[in-house]
Amino acid sequence: MDAEIVTLRLLHIVPGVAWVGSAIFLAFVLQPALAKTGPPHSRAVMRNAVKRLLILLHSSAWLTMIVGVIMAFRVRDPLFDFLWSTPWGTMIWLGFVFAVIGYAIGTIGGLTSKKMMDLGASLAGQPPTPQQAGQIANLQKRGMLLSKIAAVLVTAAVVVMALAQHV
Amino acid sequence: MDLPLIVVRLVHIIAGTFWVGAAIYLAVLLDPRLRAGPIELERQLLSRTSKLNSLWITTSAVAAIASGFALISMTPSRSMSDLGTDGWGTMILIGLLASLAAFFVSGFAGAATAKLRRGLEAGNADETQVALFRRRLSLLGYVNATLVVIAVGSMAIARYV
Repeated sequence: MDAEIVTLRLLHIVPGVAWVGSAIFLAFVLQPALAKTGPPHSRAVMRNAVKRLLILLHSSAWLTMIVGVIMAFRVRDPLFDFLWSTPWGTMIWLGFVFAVIGYAIGTIGGLTSKKMMDLGASLAGQPPTPQQAGQIANLQKRGMLLSKIAAVLVTAAVVVMALAQHV
Repeated sequence: MDLPLIVVRLVHIIAGTFWVGAAIYLAVLLDPRLRAGPIELERQLLSRTSKLNSLWITTSAVAAIASGFALISMTPSRSMSDLGTDGWGTMILIGLLASLAAFFVSGFAGAATAKLRRGLEAGNADETQVALFRRRLSLLGYVNATLVVIAVGSMAIARYV
């Protein structure tokens, strides 16, 4: 048994699955369902869960990416020769690029949702003016769109990396 | 390139990723925060999301398990008879048992959630009953998340054991 590879794979795949699966669930199941429940409930749920959500998503994403880079160096030596000249390398760097862009877009989506929640919290129970309501709706729409794009990109990262050994 | 094998592998990975991610998200993030809040919030959310969650999670679990069985048969020089016989077979068997157990635990959780939702909607559930259901659901959520993480971990390292 190669203990080093086993450890690296566990530290890459388990957080990666948590990150990508959570991102898909959030973007395609939970957020659309919350949007239908309306602001009081969706705001209360997101406000309650958002801190833990950010910790889970950021820590699992960073762990996945860092350990993924370490593992790539470990399994192909010298890595950079393989990265640019083999189909395996192409799939690996493509997956890495998808993951990084997906992470960045997801972070922007999270910041957009936070902005929307802050705006909602600033109303302090008062009904929003038409302008504020429009602003909240725009931020919600943008946050949901960015979450979906991020989820698609990190799924694409998983797909191309899973294909790497077959091409 | 073995196209059917690749397609089945992708179905297994994507469905499994969604299943595991959703299980962790629900058990660790959403449910504890929801159950720490007012019961009205849980009632509103359950009535709008629990059926949809069950549908998505059950579908992805079935797809992950079915494609997993297909993968064992389709992988060159591997078959069902290898399960439990060598390092690879042992890890795959552990993953398979953990995922099947998770599927049933998830089913119990789904049934308990439906019962809680009906009780809350009818307004006839007393506080002790609701507290009992909430505790049971939290426990089932954590057990489910632990089992799917064990399944992913054991399958991820199967080739290297």
